[in-house]
Formats: sequence, structure tokens, C-alpha cells
Amino acid sequence: MGRHEKPHETIGNMSNFSVGFRAEAHIRILDLKGELDAHTVSELEAALQKCREDKNHHIIVNGEHLQYISSAGLGVFMAYIEEMREAGGDIKIAGLQANVFNIFDLLGFPLLFDIVEAEEEAIRKFDADRNEKNDS
Amino acid sequence: MKEALSPGKSPVANHFTNRILQSGQGYIDAALRNRGQRVAFIVAALICFFLSVAFNVVEWVSGAPWHAAVNFAYQLVAITGFVLVWFLLSYFLKQRPASPLKTFWTTLLVALLSAGVIGLMIGITTAENVEGDAAVLGFEYDTGVPLTFATVVKMHVVSSLRVLLAFYLLLRFQDLVLFKRTKQSQRNWYLMLISMGVFSLLFILKDPAEDPGIVQYIGLTLVVILMILNAFRVSWIVFLSFRAKAAGVGFSILLILLLLASLSPDGILPAHFMYIRHASYPLEQFTLAALTFGLLYCVTSFLFLIFHLPTTGDFRRKTGEITAMYSLTNLVNQAFDPDKLHLTITKTPVDTGTAQMAWLAIADERSGSLRPQVVAAWKTPTEDIETMVDVAALYEELAARREPVVLDEAPADRRIRKKPGDPIGTILMTPLITRDRLLGGLFVAKDVVQGFEEDDVESISVYAAQAAIALDNARLFEEQLERERLSRELDIAREVQQRLLPHDLPKMEGLAVAASSIPAHEVGGDYYDFLELDEERLAFIVADVSGKGTSAAFYMAELQGIFRSTTRMAPSPTDFLEQANLALSSTLERHVFVSVIYGVIDVRKGELTLARAGHCPAILISREGAGRLIRPQGLGLGLDRGGRFRDVLEEEHIPLQPGDTVTVYTDGVVESRNSEGTEYGYERLLEALKALRKKEASALHEALLADLHDYLGRTEYDDDMTLVVLKWDGTKNHTKRSAT
Repeated sequence: MGRHEKPHETIGNMSNFSVGFRAEAHIRILDLKGELDAHTVSELEAALQKCREDKNHHIIVNGEHLQYISSAGLGVFMAYIEEMREAGGDIKIAGLQANVFNIFDLLGFPLLFDIVEAEEEAIRKFDADRNEKNDS
Repeated sequence: MKEALSPGKSPVANHFTNRILQSGQGYIDAALRNRGQRVAFIVAALICFFLSVAFNVVEWVSGAPWHAAVNFAYQLVAITGFVLVWFLLSYFLKQRPASPLKTFWTTLLVALLSAGVIGLMIGITTAENVEGDAAVLGFEYDTGVPLTFATVVKMHVVSSLRVLLAFYLLLRFQDLVLFKRTKQSQRNWYLMLISMGVFSLLFILKDPAEDPGIVQYIGLTLVVILMILNAFRVSWIVFLSFRAKAAGVGFSILLILLLLASLSPDGILPAHFMYIRHASYPLEQFTLAALTFGLLYCVTSFLFLIFHLPTTGDFRRKTGEITAMYSLTNLVNQAFDPDKLHLTITKTPVDTGTAQMAWLAIADERSGSLRPQVVAAWKTPTEDIETMVDVAALYEELAARREPVVLDEAPADRRIRKKPGDPIGTILMTPLITRDRLLGGLFVAKDVVQGFEEDDVESISVYAAQAAIALDNARLFEEQLERERLSRELDIAREVQQRLLPHDLPKMEGLAVAASSIPAHEVGGDYYDFLELDEERLAFIVADVSGKGTSAAFYMAELQGIFRSTTRMAPSPTDFLEQANLALSSTLERHVFVSVIYGVIDVRKGELTLARAGHCPAILISREGAGRLIRPQGLGLGLDRGGRFRDVLEEEHIPLQPGDTVTVYTDGVVESRNSEGTEYGYERLLEALKALRKKEASALHEALLADLHDYLGRTEYDDDMTLVVLKWDGTKNHTKRSAT
């Protein structure tokens, strides 16, 4: 990580959507804010791409401030999840508002993704995953 | 080539001379690129050299001069040898181009060396078994026959060194004189070389003891005129930095002194010209002319250097501005071609002499990556940059500082992965910023450390600001083009979508159907369709492909194919969805999925069988006004391509009551937002359906759309809106059945 470890760098300033980066030990946390649709989806894509380039495969997407997500937004998660899991990591989704969760839920995302209520829970799950892996 | 050089074949020799005059050294250089040819040249030159030594040795042993004809042949051989050396040296020096400063100090070095060696040679054996002034050099006064073997050696070593110096000087200064070459300057230069050669050859049969004739004087005048013309070609000076100019002044003074001293008869090398003259009179004249030119050129360079020294800073700034202006006007045309624009931006600093190498890195968040990409490089292949420097790390510093950064000791920087031979000594990186946005970084490099000065940085900054504007304009233009392309694409997609939707609604006993799909401005991938499985059963589907435009239309078309072909064979909705998931999974892109709701209504039994693949729930409203969402579990098509999809998929069987209304729709309906940003939502939909439940299917459908429309307050939709209403009227069915 080294140089990347700035407390809060943000990308995207032209629309009402932004992605903030945070780091928590080995986990990269992406704070989504605003509305994620076909027009803003490239910003989330860029953020995940950066995680991939930095070899960060443990990702928590914090959706506390995410107001809306379209199918294009959901597609990004699909595009990256497989790769992150193959690399031993995961994308966990935390803190979704009810209406946004409903969109995830309709499509059956909870059956495929770890969607939890709070970020801390996601971190705990990552830690548990790691311990489990170490044990085996 | 080798035949061409043999003097016997005159047509070939003619051709050879022509080629020299036409393309100068290019022809010979081409030949010398071949290693074998080079070796042949070297061997031939050596043979010539030893032949001439042998000639003089024989003269010394016999004590008598050769016959005039033999002497002539000797001169030819000696000169041919040196002509070969000229081409060889020219070839080797061209492989190692030198900066103006390097030219000066290496010439100084070569001149010093040759003067030193010559001085030593002459000093060691001054008066050997000879008496009197005339013979002090070791030649017999009347005949010029060498008196000792040492004299022979001295003759040839001194003349070789002198000629080599002359050649080196001419070949090195050639690059300076021909800096920013024009046809005219090139012609003048080669004319001078040729006239110097011809002038020297005029002395081939001349006795050194006699005065030169009128022909020689005319030749000399011509040479001097051309020398003066060429001596004023010093435009390279203005491109030097202040420090380089100061150093240039020093070097040129030293070189002037050294050349003056070694050219004057009473200087540091007394009488060395006598040795060359005895070895070959024409060569002596040639070296004299060449060194005189060198002296002249150094003097003009010195004067111009002094003259331009104070204006260096202004000049650099001016160059930056002019460059920027030039490129700006130039760049207007290139906005159509980003690659060309990138290259022009990269090239200009090198072309104007500010740097020796340059590259342009751009981090474009639209391309989905924040990692800077090297999009153009000049004087080195683009793909080599990444191996030479850590572009990402450098760019990061640039992005953080947002001002020009100079790496004075680039080889010591850990981000520079310099290999020997990489021409990176100093790097100057300049951010390209417009409208407060960092678009990229312009990196320029020099092969020496601490190669950039204040004024370089300034001129590049001025230039970078202009380049950033050009880059930004090109982007805006590109975006505009992209928008237009997209809008055309959307027109096509809209047309495809409309064709894929059913034209006629099914007409079944006891079942009324109303359906519509309103495409959004940016076409989504909504699809609905019906198929009568038999007289009693109707299959219906409503689907939404994620994504928009042509790709969505393409998947829609595929889904239609699957629906039309598979439905009859699939015994149940879950079977159909499984088939559809299998079929689509192989073609869907990884980030694309399709939500589907699929159901079968048995109008005779009055039963609805429904399965849902990630789609919005169906709504069932009874005649009495009870409403419920039907939401069996199921993943969207394409989300899982393995067994998971089948494992979680559920199917619901719902007995219908006469007057029941089943409504299926896409998320465009419930997620549509009014001007305040509030969604229409499930609650409102449910309430509206309850209120309208008594209406006929088509009237209900129409009224619901009107309600939606009123709520939204506009006719432009963000997403496609598909609405299908199915109303089962058991009574009719019953009547029919009892009639039969």
C-alpha cells in the first residue's frame, strides 16, 4: 500500500456519485455516495480496477450513503466478484439503505454476495475467513 | 563498391563521383553499414599507408628521388588512403553524434593529443647526423630525399595525425554547421569540402620549392569565400542553455589558442608542416585549409556565444511561447485524432531542442483505470518507457504536487530503472491541468544529470499549459462525437426493440390482456411476449436486460429466440428459466444479467404458475380488492452460471378467482421518480391497481399509465416502462364451458 494510504481520496466530481477510499488493515473500503447508474458506473469500475491493480482483493463496499443503484451498477459487482474470489478475496456489501437493499434483494444478490448491515460485521467476517484459511 | 573504387574502370568511377556529388556521403555510409565493407575499407587504407611508407623507405635506402611518374602514383595512393579514412571516420562519428559542447571539447582533446604526439616526435630526434639549417629536419636540401629512417617514420606519423585531426574537426563541425540544415547550407558545406579537396589536389604535381601559381590562388580564394560562408552557420548557439553557452565560450577560447599555436610556423610545433609537405604536398594544403576553417569557425562561435549569452533566458521563454502558439494552431486540426495530438504534444519539446526525449502519460478515469498510461513517446519506443521508469510512481508525485518537478539526478532515483545506455539523466515532469483537472503529465528527459535549468522549466510550463488546453478540447470533441454515435446507436436499438415486441395480443377465452412497453430516451432492454401453448394455456414473459443501447437490444433478441423456441418444450416455468439461464450464460457478458418473470395461465382451470428470475414481483389483485405481491425466490439470469441458479429457483401455483387481475411490469414502473426524486414505488402501484380493479384489462392498463404519467409530470422516462395486465374472467369461461 505505502503511498496509497491517504486517509480519504475521492474520485468523481462531475456527477452526484462518488467513491471514497479507505483502508482498514488489509481491507480496502469503498464508500459509495449518491446514485449509481449507467452514467456514474465508470467511477465505481475505476475504483475496483484500482483495487485490482493494487492487488487488493479484500473489499468492503459501504453503501450507507448510496441512494440508488441501477442494473448497470449491479453489473459491476458481477464483473469483479469472481476474480476477487479467485484471488482469495471477496467483495462484501455493508450498510445498504432499505430501498437499495430491495433492489439487490430482488435480483437475488444476497444469495451470491455477503450483504451485511454494518461495516464492522463485514470486517469481522473477513477476519473470520482469514482465520479459517489459516487453520486449514 | 570495391570495384567502384578501383581507378581502372572509368565509367564506374564516373558513376561513383556522381554519387558522391549527388547524395554526398549517404551512398558510402550505406556501404559501410555492412561490416565486411568496413573491414575492406580499413584494409585498403592500411595498404595505402604502408605502400607510401615503403615508397619513402626505398627513397631513403637508395638515396635518390623517385621518377616523377612514380612520385605521382605515390601521391595518388597516399591520398586514396586518406580518402578511405575520411569515409570510415565519417561513418563512425555518425554512429556517435555529439552535442555542440561535446564537439568542442573532444576536438580540443584530439587537437591537444595530436599536438602532443607531434611535438614529442619532432623533439626526440631533432638533429640526427645532419648539419646545417636546411637539413635540420632530416631531408636532403635539393632533392627532399629523407636522410634517415626516423625521418620517414616522422613524416608519416606527423602527417597521419595532422590529417586525422583535420578530418575529425571537419566531420564534427559539420553537424554544427548543418544544424537546422537547409538545402542551401548543405550545398555550401559540401561545396567547401569539395573545393578544399580540389584546391589541395592542385598541388599534387607542384614542387614545394616553387611559388604557387595563379590557379592555386584562384582555388584558394574560392576556398576562403566558402569557409567564411560556412563559418557563420552558428544557429545551434541560440538553443544552448546559459551554462552550456558559458562552457562553450571557454572551450572555444582554448581551441582558438591551440589551433593558432599549432598553425603558426613559430608556434608550439615548429616546422611540422615540413614533414607533411614532404609526405604529401596536397595533404599539407588540405590540413592547413581544414585547420584554418576550424580556427575561423571557433572565432565566430566564440563571438556569437558571447553575444547570445545575456539573452538566453528571454530566448528560452520565447521559444516556449512560440512553440506553444505553433502547436496550438497546429493542434486544431489534430483534435480529430487523439494519437496524433498526443504525439505532437510529446514531440515538440524535443524538436525545439529543450529535451532529448519525451513522453506523455494520461490517467483517464473514463477508461476505467486510474493508472497512467503512456500514450506517446518521442525518441524512444512508447513501450520502452515502462521498462525505463516507474511511470505510476512518478505520476503519483506529479498528481500530488501539481507543479513542474525536476529530477536532477534521475539515475539515482529509485523510480528510474535505468539500464546502461538509457538516455535518462534528468527528468522534468510537468502536469497538464485545465479547469482544475489533472489530465496527464508531460515528461521530458535529457541524457545528462542536472540537465534542465530554470528557463527550461519555465518554457516547458508555458507549453504544458497550452498542451493541456488542446488535450481538453480534443476530449470535449471526442465526447461530442461519442454522444452522437450513441444517439445513432440508440435509434437502432429502439427500432430493434419495437420489432421484437409482439404486434398482436393473444385472444383467449376468458382472458383479457393489455400490454405496452414505453422505451426510455436511452433505450433499456425491456421485453415482453406471449405464446399460446395450447387452447387453454398462455405463457407470458416480462424481462429486463441490464445495460442499455445496442447490446441490450442484442440480448433481448436472443431472449426472444429462447422464449419462442423453448417455451413449448418446457413443462414448467422453472424448467423454462433454467433453460434460458443455461442458454444465455454462454453469451452474456460478465457484467450483464437479465431479470425475468415467467408465468403460465391455465384459463380453463383458472390457475397461474409463476417463476421469477430476479424480476420485480407480480401483483395479484382480486375483484374484492385484496392485493398481494407474488415473489417466489430466484436469481437473475446470468448471475450464477452453475447449479446455484437451479437450487434456489422456486415456482408458485396460484388458483385464480374470476375477476382476478395479474399485473407484471419492469422496474421502470416502480423506480420512476417525480421531480422531487420520489419513486412511484410498490405501495402506490398496489393502491392504484386496487382502485382500478373493476375496469376492463385495457381500460385498467390505460388508467394506470395515466396515473403514472400524472405522478411523474413528464413524458421523458429514465428507463423503459413495461406494463402487462392479465385479467381472468372465470364467469365467461364458465358460461362457455356450460354451453358446450
